[in-house]
Amino acid sequence: MIAEVANRPPATPGASGWAIDASDIEVRFGATVALKRVNVQTEPGTIHALVGENGAGKSTFLGVIAGRVVPSGGRVRIFGEPHEFGRPRSAKRLGVTAIYQELTIVPALSAQANVFLGQELALRGLLSESAMRNRFDSLREQLGVAIAPDAVAGRLSVADQQMLEIMRCIQSDARLLLFDEPTTALALPERDALFRIMRQLRDKGATMMFVSHNLEEVLDVADTVTVFRDGGVAAAAPRSQWDKASLVHAMIGHEIDDNGPGPKPRRVRGAAPLIAARGIVVPGAIEGVDIEVHAGEIVGIGGLVGSGRSSLLRSLAGLEPTSRGELIVQGVGAEWPRTPRDALRLGIAMVPENRKTQGLVLGMSSTDNIAMTNYRRVSKAGVLSPQAMESAARRVAKEFGFDERRIATPMRNLSGGNQQKVLLGKWSFRSPVVLLIDEPTRGIDIGAKEEIMATLQRVADSGLGIVMVSSELQEVVAISHRVIVLSEGRAVANLNADEKPIGVQDILAFAFGLN
Amino acid sequence: MASTALGKIRRASHDWDRTRVANIFLQFGLIWAFVLLLIASAIAYPGLLRFANIRNLISQGAPVGIVAAGMTFVIIGGGFDFSVGSIVALAAVVFANRADPVGLWAAAAIVLLCSLVCGVINGVIVTRLKVNPFVATLGTGSMFGGAAYIFSNNAPQLSNDPNFQYLGSKAWFSWPIASWILIVILLGGGFVLARTVYGRSIYAIGGNNEASRLSGLRVDLLRGSTYVISALCAGFGGLILASRLGLGQADMGGTMSLDAIAIVVIGGTSLLGGEGKMWRTAVGLLILSTLTNLFDSLAVATSYQLVVKGAIVVAAVALDLFARSRRT
Repeated sequence: MIAEVANRPPATPGASGWAIDASDIEVRFGATVALKRVNVQTEPGTIHALVGENGAGKSTFLGVIAGRVVPSGGRVRIFGEPHEFGRPRSAKRLGVTAIYQELTIVPALSAQANVFLGQELALRGLLSESAMRNRFDSLREQLGVAIAPDAVAGRLSVADQQMLEIMRCIQSDARLLLFDEPTTALALPERDALFRIMRQLRDKGATMMFVSHNLEEVLDVADTVTVFRDGGVAAAAPRSQWDKASLVHAMIGHEIDDNGPGPKPRRVRGAAPLIAARGIVVPGAIEGVDIEVHAGEIVGIGGLVGSGRSSLLRSLAGLEPTSRGELIVQGVGAEWPRTPRDALRLGIAMVPENRKTQGLVLGMSSTDNIAMTNYRRVSKAGVLSPQAMESAARRVAKEFGFDERRIATPMRNLSGGNQQKVLLGKWSFRSPVVLLIDEPTRGIDIGAKEEIMATLQRVADSGLGIVMVSSELQEVVAISHRVIVLSEGRAVANLNADEKPIGVQDILAFAFGLN
Repeated sequence: MASTALGKIRRASHDWDRTRVANIFLQFGLIWAFVLLLIASAIAYPGLLRFANIRNLISQGAPVGIVAAGMTFVIIGGGFDFSVGSIVALAAVVFANRADPVGLWAAAAIVLLCSLVCGVINGVIVTRLKVNPFVATLGTGSMFGGAAYIFSNNAPQLSNDPNFQYLGSKAWFSWPIASWILIVILLGGGFVLARTVYGRSIYAIGGNNEASRLSGLRVDLLRGSTYVISALCAGFGGLILASRLGLGQADMGGTMSLDAIAIVVIGGTSLLGGEGKMWRTAVGLLILSTLTNLFDSLAVATSYQLVVKGAIVVAAVALDLFARSRRT
């Protein structure tokens, strides 16, 4: 039924016309068609969600509306006015503001200066600090956030930085706000705050369009949902006509089993732990946490953003030089790692959170990216062996479900899901004892997520220990044998799936201190 | 029926082919540019392709070519070395000054040792003190250049050793020794960059330093080592230059830094790091040498040549950035 709705736009525009009226939008990148004749309409004063798998075209479409991507065909009217493509300034004049995945904060400036960036309050050409301070305070109150106006923006959490962007949007009197994956960096309470703010803005008449991979939040906050598939609109309908299953169906064309976590694989080996770390301290983040990882075991770290989840992983991986603790690796006492090299030498490898800035050399092929964690395996006397590199890349590609034929393609030309698979394969090529993974499925589509979850279980089954942090708690409970819940830098619970199945609500209860 | 099936296959391989063709054109377009330049130059200056002229051109280009080979490592590693001109001058005066008292071999060893020290200083400033490479090497360049003036007392240094000019003016197999050395360095450098773990690591740190660090590469050591390579090449270039001219003088560095950078970027190696090839530097050297030769033969004043060279560097970098913006 929904599929039929798809091909014709909803019947009547609102009394004042559409907020966004895009017709026959076509976008090509070289020979690739990213969008083919897409029609989307948005009523003013509503929240419109765009969903779809990676590469379906939803972010590209958002880019067209934002004026960042120039389509090769079609037209867009914003509140009835024609949109001049490729001119973010003219989009801004029409009242369009976009908040991108890559935040546009100037790190060295203060929080307040960032909010008023390009729209400073001034009196006769002189900046009026007091006026800006007052306005900043009232914005803070309105949004219920507690960011100090003089805080250096670059030192704030990603969530707070995003709040600054939203404050900037509100300050600029935007009528149409575009969000690209607004919640990927946010913990639950922050997500809730964001949604509260979005609803608040809608009630004041603002129109919003956002792209998200999280179907629950889409169903939670959107008024209209448009599903993209293969560069076209697969379906568009009001929220009331959707549920999770129908969204997934529209996105990938077939149903997936969504009856919660599947059965857990049993723990393979139980004897001595692969690594045991005690009394881990990271000044300002972690205070005395213990962690043990056994062979074949997946240990999830639960907790809110800011609870020290990432710091814990980073300290084990040698990325927190000021951290300390006691470490026993395979029964032997070891020096606490101070550099990534130290950690890797001990067999502790970390797959970083941000694949683009920390994980991959984007200009290089996946073969090169995989080889670089372990050049020794693919070289003789310092000379690389192209054959060894290729066969290694093929092996890793097969193991992580990445297309073997594309191992020579530069990483920047691969989709997010494929990049993520290479990222995981890259550090596993080091043959570590323990693999630490920060956000294994950030910003990738459902299909790739499931593949990665399955791969992680397989990797653990082969005898590795895995420690994983994810904002998607469902993923944590779906594959973890144990979950350590952190709150304010301390371990508040150590849940064991052998004793009792772990649920998302258990983690949240401990994280929020309800128990 | 058959045609739609074929169409499907075509479409599947279509965008891959298109990008491949475009890539080949972008990669080797440089060769065409060089061929065009060569034809145009040969028409404007018929003597260009004469054997004696080519031999002269290459032996003239050898010192700066060697410097550019070292620069290629630094730039692929995401850095920048503006101090090479001064290292060339320092090497030339030290070589000429020490040749008589300690002998040619020992003098050459002293020169390479000095260059090594210069390179280590650059590497330490960039990796340990985290000074931006442009500023760091501009500063050390001034220091090394000043040292060359102090050491030479501002006077040309001469050597009476008859073999002083051996490297710079003699030939093996009727081809200047300097150009043999250049070819060996380009081939060796090309091999290191393309086929060794060290070379690949340089690309990696130039492409993404943080990802390389997390992959377990010794990023600071690698980055620092590129400055050492660059300084050693500059020292060697200075040695050959002194030998070719028969003297060492503190102002010999002149436009050497700019020329070396020009050669690398004209070749198409990106100043953003992580990309580039040694053969590109070789072609860049050919282009710049041909241009210089053409200008000289047409009696274009050096001052005009400076203007043109500077413009070419800026244009080459702008072209690289433009090509990048089209690609993504």
